[in-house]
Amino acid sequence: MNDYEKEITAVRTSFLKTGAPRILLAFNAALALAYFLVLAFLFPIGNRVLFVLLITGEIFHIWQVLTFLYTVWETEHTFVQSASFQPPVDVFITVAGEPTALVEKTVAAARAMDYPNFEVHILNDGFVAGKDNWRDIETLAQKYGVHCITRTIAGGAKAGNINNALRLTHNPLVAIFDADHIPHANFLQKTSPYFVDPAVGFVQTPQFYKNYNENYLTKSSWEQQELFFGPICKGKNRLNAATMCGTNMLISRPALVKVGGMCTESIAEDFVTGLLMHAQGYRSVYHPEVLAEGLATEDLLTYSKQQFRWARGALDVIFRYNPLFMRGLSLPQKIQYLSSASFYLSGAFVVIDALLPIIYLYTGMVPVQIDGMLLAAVFLPYLFFTLYVIQRTSNFTFTFPSLGFSMGAFNIHLKALWKAATFQRSGFSITEKSRASGNFLPLVKWHILYIAAALVGVPIALLREGYSASLINNGAWVLLTSIIFLPFIRAALPDKAKDASTAVPQTRAVKTHTYGTIRG
Amino acid sequence: MAPYAVKVVRGLLLLVLMCIPIALSVFFFAGQSLRLDEAQSLWQSGRSVGYIFTLVAEDVHVPLYHVLLHFWRIAFGNTVIAARSMSLVFYILSIPALYALGALAYNRRVGFFAAFLFSISPFMNWYGNEIRMYTLFTFFVILNQYFFVKILKSKEHSDHVWALYTLTAILGVFSHYFFFLSLASQAVFYFLQRKLFLEGSLRRFVYAMLIVCGVFLPWGLYVLHLGQAANQEPLLAVPTTINLFSTVSQFVFGFQNDNINTVLLSLWPITILFAFLGLRNRAGHASLPQTQYFLITLLVSIAIAFVGSFIVAPVFVSRYLIFTVPSLYLLLASMFESYSPKWAQLARYSIAAIMIATLAVEIASPTTPVKENYEEASAYLNSHVTAQDVVVLSAPFTVYPVQYYYRADAPITTLPIWNQYSYGPIPAFNAAQLPDQVTQAVGSSQNVYLLLSYNQGYETNIKDYFDSHYQRLYTATYSDDLTLYVYKLRYDTSATQVTAR
Repeated sequence: MNDYEKEITAVRTSFLKTGAPRILLAFNAALALAYFLVLAFLFPIGNRVLFVLLITGEIFHIWQVLTFLYTVWETEHTFVQSASFQPPVDVFITVAGEPTALVEKTVAAARAMDYPNFEVHILNDGFVAGKDNWRDIETLAQKYGVHCITRTIAGGAKAGNINNALRLTHNPLVAIFDADHIPHANFLQKTSPYFVDPAVGFVQTPQFYKNYNENYLTKSSWEQQELFFGPICKGKNRLNAATMCGTNMLISRPALVKVGGMCTESIAEDFVTGLLMHAQGYRSVYHPEVLAEGLATEDLLTYSKQQFRWARGALDVIFRYNPLFMRGLSLPQKIQYLSSASFYLSGAFVVIDALLPIIYLYTGMVPVQIDGMLLAAVFLPYLFFTLYVIQRTSNFTFTFPSLGFSMGAFNIHLKALWKAATFQRSGFSITEKSRASGNFLPLVKWHILYIAAALVGVPIALLREGYSASLINNGAWVLLTSIIFLPFIRAALPDKAKDASTAVPQTRAVKTHTYGTIRG
Repeated sequence: MAPYAVKVVRGLLLLVLMCIPIALSVFFFAGQSLRLDEAQSLWQSGRSVGYIFTLVAEDVHVPLYHVLLHFWRIAFGNTVIAARSMSLVFYILSIPALYALGALAYNRRVGFFAAFLFSISPFMNWYGNEIRMYTLFTFFVILNQYFFVKILKSKEHSDHVWALYTLTAILGVFSHYFFFLSLASQAVFYFLQRKLFLEGSLRRFVYAMLIVCGVFLPWGLYVLHLGQAANQEPLLAVPTTINLFSTVSQFVFGFQNDNINTVLLSLWPITILFAFLGLRNRAGHASLPQTQYFLITLLVSIAIAFVGSFIVAPVFVSRYLIFTVPSLYLLLASMFESYSPKWAQLARYSIAAIMIATLAVEIASPTTPVKENYEEASAYLNSHVTAQDVVVLSAPFTVYPVQYYYRADAPITTLPIWNQYSYGPIPAFNAAQLPDQVTQAVGSSQNVYLLLSYNQGYETNIKDYFDSHYQRLYTATYSDDLTLYVYKLRYDTSATQVTAR
């Protein structure tokens, strides 16, 4: 095994070594609550509007922390399996104009899977998507002796494509792969044994980006995925609340049929379909092993579109399919779905947190009137300990760029929130996975504007009240926020898009589109 | 480079680090005025060994430093510089010891950078030139931690290592009571990570602690036998969160005036950035137990001192917690290792530049709060007071540093009135008795030279009393919280003419 193989093997497995002592998690929860109670009830209130905004933001953050701790409380839950249980499987490869060479790799890998009884179907939406190579895909299917289901009537995007194939196939299990997600030979062997329990609705596996080292953006994207597909998904597995991610999964046909197929009413068809299955009483399983490998987005424009789609889909769950009021879900499932979906509300709270010190610089108004040291005394232990717990639970795979990307995407999340809250339609844009060229700086205009506002605000505050502890403290906050935005800004810089590690062979992505998946 | 050459270069670099405090001492620190605590050390260590035990026990300290200083002064002379040089020696010895500890716990780069921070530390350089036990204490803590980490990393038990661990613990508990906090931190770490230690370690730790306690027991009994403490030191206030952060700030940036402290403390959100930058993918080789150990040493010790100040008695002062400084620097150095190379370099340069800058300010600024310029104040007294005058000092224990420099003929007295040679604590201040005490103190003197420092809560009462009863002729401030007031008591002789010069 050469160095590259060693590294990629480590990357494939390290994020799955999760868990932290429960005493740490409990202490973290206690610290979080103590911090909130002190902030909310013991500190003198400054400006009431700002105080309400601050407390609202902190309620959200505490909710995130507590639900995270609840999720990762135990991450090694396993379900009953029977290795000899190997029912027939229909393997769906969803295609919508991706390059034939890329699809061929996926088809070849699917065809080569080590399993006694399965059929491979290419769900060819190239025709309805107006792509030139839809005939090539049919030829490819002939070459490999697999079925090609080419739709001639559009509708429902990826979900419609899958539902169309469901009507034309018959096997009790259905595996779904995006066109760029190449399955390992043992995919079906590893996932089908869970279906010995007829209550199991679907088995989800991680969505690994084999091009994670292509550039700064793919690396950061993967680092975001590590936290989700590591401790969070493993924790959700315990709570029978695994997230359906749309690819690299095996589904029970009866379960899928019972919920009416893949949901076509949401651009997050996978997330909602998983929710509906849970509501019908089906179990879900997260199998913590990389069994298929796909591609991450390589430029900020595509990344932003993907983030918008994920955010919009997840927020639809809050505004249209609210799990709180959905019958059939257990309380842990409701909490988990709300937790996942509400992650995309974070953009609003990032803005609140970022604006509070700016408001001080321009107006002198503060949410609480306390000595900065007192705030530090309650805030820093809570924050540092929470970071440590996140690191412990994720096997130290959580990174600053992934944090920066989560917070830096606030403008995308806000746009999605606005559209979801006002029930505006959003098209099912397909994720562009090749690197787009052009100037991406407009995507970070709000971030740059924030830094500019801070630079102007500091002298304004200095003129207003002179040199003071509050000015320095708020100046430090805006500096911190600005630095947190740097990874996102860096990804928008044209020359930085090529910033890839050269230590290992590059996995060059080819021009491709895939349907997206959802996580939170 | 050949291995031998590497060792030579490494040794030379360590020597350079050890020379930094020497140079700073020679050019800046050693010549400073004697401070209160130092004067007490000189006064106490100047007695017989038997009497030193009594004085130190009453002073709520342990005797090793004072006994060593006693013989050091016999060997090297009675000057302030000679006495300070003993602290400097232990400070300098601590530098390679810290390097060795860092190299053992992490790697040589961490050890070297921690030792570098230690050598330029404004806080350590201050106490490296103070006639107190703090560098001796720190030195034994580092040695003891070295053997503790050695035990942690050992593949098999070594009696040699266990013996040295026990010996350094014994020397440590006789250098400062707070050494027990270091041992408590080790106990906490052992409790949390006992699986990392070899089988049989618990038994050996228990034996080691029994020996330490056994050796310390006679001293403890002796202190109990003497009864209550003499209360000859400044009162310590119950700490606030500002003290908490100021302490950590002092460990890194030394002693700064209020303006600079405000800037440094208000920048606390930047510490979050330090944590964020440490968030890197380090799967498989993160969360080193030694990091947990140093973190526990830092946090547990500070927490116990902070909470203990509310429950038992105020003991939260940064100098008592000096033994956590090596842990803090090792944590900083190891944290920078976890950064990306560019950020790590930037962080190292930044912290070094800021520490050097604050060291310069600490040296140069007359408003550095820990400076006590009794030398200059006494020089003024020496050149102005006559035998018909009286010098009044408050707080009473400031008599020690003044006496060291005072050469004039006028008598010295204190408010409250106190005889430093009498047994027992300094009498408490009583506002009702103040007029009588002032009358008794000034007698029939022509002028009174009132030198106020170390405000114990009644300084304003005394000053107001003098202001309202006598004519003030002159005021001079020699350092932060050290002010001289001259009052005219009588007009019947020409000797009362005091001018400000």
